[in-house]
Amino acid sequence: MNYTPHFGQITRYLPYFCGGAAVSLLLATLAFSGGMVIGLLGAMAKTSGGKVLRRFAGAYVTFFTNTPALVQVYFIYFVLPSCGIVLDSFDAVLLGLTLNSGAYLTEVQRAGFASVRRNEVEAAETLGMSRRQVVWYLVVPHIVRTLYPPLTGQFILITLGTSMGAVFGVEELTGRAFSVNAETFRSIEIFTVVGAMYVVVTILASLLLTIAGRSLFRARVSVF
Amino acid sequence: MFRALQQLHEFATSYNLLLLLEGGARTLVLSAAGCVCGFVLGFALAVLRHTAAGWLLPARILGVVYVEMFRRIPFLVTLFLVFYAFQALGLDVPVFWVAVASTCVIGTAYLSEVVRAGFAAVPRAEWDAAATMNFSLLQTLRFVVVPQAWRVVVPPAFAFFLSFIKDSALASQIGVVELTFVGKIFNNRGLMPAIAFGSVLIAYFVISYPLARLGARLEGRLALSRAH
Repeated sequence: MNYTPHFGQITRYLPYFCGGAAVSLLLATLAFSGGMVIGLLGAMAKTSGGKVLRRFAGAYVTFFTNTPALVQVYFIYFVLPSCGIVLDSFDAVLLGLTLNSGAYLTEVQRAGFASVRRNEVEAAETLGMSRRQVVWYLVVPHIVRTLYPPLTGQFILITLGTSMGAVFGVEELTGRAFSVNAETFRSIEIFTVVGAMYVVVTILASLLLTIAGRSLFRARVSVF
Repeated sequence: MFRALQQLHEFATSYNLLLLLEGGARTLVLSAAGCVCGFVLGFALAVLRHTAAGWLLPARILGVVYVEMFRRIPFLVTLFLVFYAFQALGLDVPVFWVAVASTCVIGTAYLSEVVRAGFAAVPRAEWDAAATMNFSLLQTLRFVVVPQAWRVVVPPAFAFFLSFIKDSALASQIGVVELTFVGKIFNNRGLMPAIAFGSVLIAYFVISYPLARLGARLEGRLALSRAH
């Protein structure tokens, strides 16, 4: 081994990398939010929809969870333009990640719906709570509290998943690592620093989400 | 529409289908090899983290850091890290093995957590009882822990393998000719992207869906046998 690492040469790119981390987090937040909406609709369709809706939601989940997100984005990126829809790389990756996370979040939220105990609802009805009160004071808090930990896990996974944006030229953290690599060829140093930044960013995100979850919803989450 | 049909006809040659088959096989072998290697090392890491000896404390801390680190680094970054690490070490390793090594690195981190959850499912008293009966660590694992823990470990470990069949798509970025790379070849050859990537999506589905069903059945049966 005759390679001497030079971390000094890439310190001046640190602010650039931090900007990339912000883009990664933005992409993850947008994809997660979109995925949550899709997931909520999907979970509703799967638990209380008619036969057609249930089938449709089932097919969507099965297809998207059994194929790689990367190929889904490839498909979106290359096929939609031939249908006249031209997306830039950020939007294509965002759309792909949203649809992909929507499928996983459908399953997560469905499990949350299923975890509401029948007899708790009956007890609330016995106490004379109206339908609205049951949903608002019992079902929603219960679902939020049980779903919070798996949802934070999903958010972290999506954040890591955004690194595929680099493949399509999105200037997020990994994408910026690629461009700096092409400029400086300090590959090992760059990917070590960027890897460490992902660790720091996701730990910070977990920390924030844990604090928010514990104080707002009394959810049993932990950072690690 | 006519063009699509014509291209579909052009696409359906034995050469292309063989390429898909080969890509699919490589995806499977890559994921399986990486996960098996990751499971073995992850098991060792979980055992290490379960030990109590004082002199092993630094190793245990390193183990925790390793797990927490590699569960928070994207697979794409790990791939390039391993790729350039081999390069810096002056080793000329084929990209396929770089991808297997990367899968192994990540798999060790995730699967050690899975194994640890399995260990946790065995009551502390049984570990202590085994120690009282002068079982060595290996004997405790072989006769007491593994026979009980495997039911807890197998479903999530299998789920990890399944997720890696899909995540291994990123290995195409360092030049491993697996399924996704085959899709890129088709695309570069001028086939319609819908056919190029559509066929790859279908191929992934054909591999992943039966395994997912198998995993769900496995989980159901193991959960049932645990209830007894």
